[in-house]
Amino acid sequence: MAYDDLRSFLHALDKEGQLLRVTDEVVPEPDIAAAANAAPRMGDAAPALYFDNVRGFIDARIAMNVHGSWANHALALGLPKQTGAKAQVAEFIRRWEDFPVQPEWRAEPLWAANAVEGGDVDVFQVLPLFRLNDGDGGFYIDKAAVVSKDPEDPDNSDKQNVGIYRIEVKGKRRLALQPAPVHDIALHLRKAEERGEDLPVAIALGNDPVISIVAATPMAYDENEYELAGALRGAPAPIAKAPLTGLPVPWGSEVVIEGVVEGRTREIEGPFGEFTGHYSGGRSMPVIRIDRISYRTDPVFEHLYLGMPWTEIDYLMAANTCVPIHQELKRDFPEVQAVNATYTHGLVVIVSTKTRYGGFAKAVGTRVLSTSHGLGYAATVIVVDEDVDPFNLTQVMWALSTKMNPAHDLVRLPAMSVVPLAPQADTPGIVDKLIIDATTPVEPERRGDRSSRVRDLPEAGEWLTRLQRLAAAR
Amino acid sequence: METPPTCPRCVYESVEKLFTSPVPGVWDVLQCQRCLYTWRTSEPARRTRRDHYPEEFRMSPEDIENAVEVPAVPPLLPRD
Repeated sequence: MAYDDLRSFLHALDKEGQLLRVTDEVVPEPDIAAAANAAPRMGDAAPALYFDNVRGFIDARIAMNVHGSWANHALALGLPKQTGAKAQVAEFIRRWEDFPVQPEWRAEPLWAANAVEGGDVDVFQVLPLFRLNDGDGGFYIDKAAVVSKDPEDPDNSDKQNVGIYRIEVKGKRRLALQPAPVHDIALHLRKAEERGEDLPVAIALGNDPVISIVAATPMAYDENEYELAGALRGAPAPIAKAPLTGLPVPWGSEVVIEGVVEGRTREIEGPFGEFTGHYSGGRSMPVIRIDRISYRTDPVFEHLYLGMPWTEIDYLMAANTCVPIHQELKRDFPEVQAVNATYTHGLVVIVSTKTRYGGFAKAVGTRVLSTSHGLGYAATVIVVDEDVDPFNLTQVMWALSTKMNPAHDLVRLPAMSVVPLAPQADTPGIVDKLIIDATTPVEPERRGDRSSRVRDLPEAGEWLTRLQRLAAAR
Repeated sequence: METPPTCPRCVYESVEKLFTSPVPGVWDVLQCQRCLYTWRTSEPARRTRRDHYPEEFRMSPEDIENAVEVPAVPPLLPRD
């Protein structure tokens, strides 16, 4: 089931019992962020939240935590809501094999119903903006798909980018943008600024749920996010040309903001509570001038709370972080079974693998560091045996408890690259990385007594099914 | 008489109104013209009043002056 806009997905969540409407009046702060902070604490089937009675606003419609549980993430991919994390990642890997699926240019985009331009632009009139965390420097937009082109190759749709970046609202038609050096949009901006030019951008808010997933996926520079959306949806992603910039944006967005990143301008931004569960900023960052806003009638403001994990962002960049690492590892090491990079965008990565020979697991672990995503993440890599499920932390802890001997199994690599937002670094952007080999030593490595492993009884699997059936029938 | 608002974060006295509640008189959104801190007047005191504003989030003119550029502005390419 492919959703073409946010509203049809909200409707589906509602039907599945995964959308909670808060109808009592709430105050913009701290209520909405606090509720979205709390929602994921309800567990793996936490609902999305919908607010339409917000004090001081006449007609605010705010959707939070739309991707904020494994159940909602499954529904976004058209899977049954009970699908577990590991199965969702496996399905994601399978669907990525259909990449690329060309997007479909569709006429009469939903956001074309209303527009304001130039001096009439006032983002506050269109979006019911509010603060997320106490120390945030202002109100943010943090779940929008930002679209830009490579200024040196603007006709190349593979080099265009659709990404989610933090955006601070600084005025009626003024925003700040965080293009961290590892992000594709930072390459676009650099090229524009080297030429003394502005960088045109389109910011699409309130999208069908797969657009948010691909925009948060660490794809290669020359991979087109819409073509991955098509593969994940099982149908081409509908897109349309934004009227002012000509940039390709989702056909079904609630709001499309167009403008430019002003070349060679920096201004104080932040701080902002980030995905690491820590604040970052204030730093001097690029500024966006808004030139046009197009929007659906009665737009829904879809927003994302982030803070101490897990919050919605951890679900939004969980499965999609595992897959590229899995693909790169699998190319070199077919023995790799599964990759769990769901922790803080892959700052910790757990890999299960068969071991070809002694020392092999350490090679797999260090290879994680040189994957495209691992270059900026993967501060700690844990390697476990093929029969340990990296998504089952009790099994991973068992492997660490019984197989890891610090005398042999820790590999520390000094002064490696990491995203500057990683708070543990002495110098932002540089950190020592650690490989923990929690696999069973194999020949020619002879150490530890591994001879008496207790394995699940062959009949246990059948019994699990039988017990689950009995329990369900009670 | 009500005293004009100062910035709870950097104590600057030039504060502008960015937006006002569509339901009249409920709240305003204000912005400091130096550190650009933006707040709604209806927010809790820990976000709106200097005497309650947490030490860890306060900002000084030096902090603004010394803020690191992210990303750094690159050199211009030489023109032909």
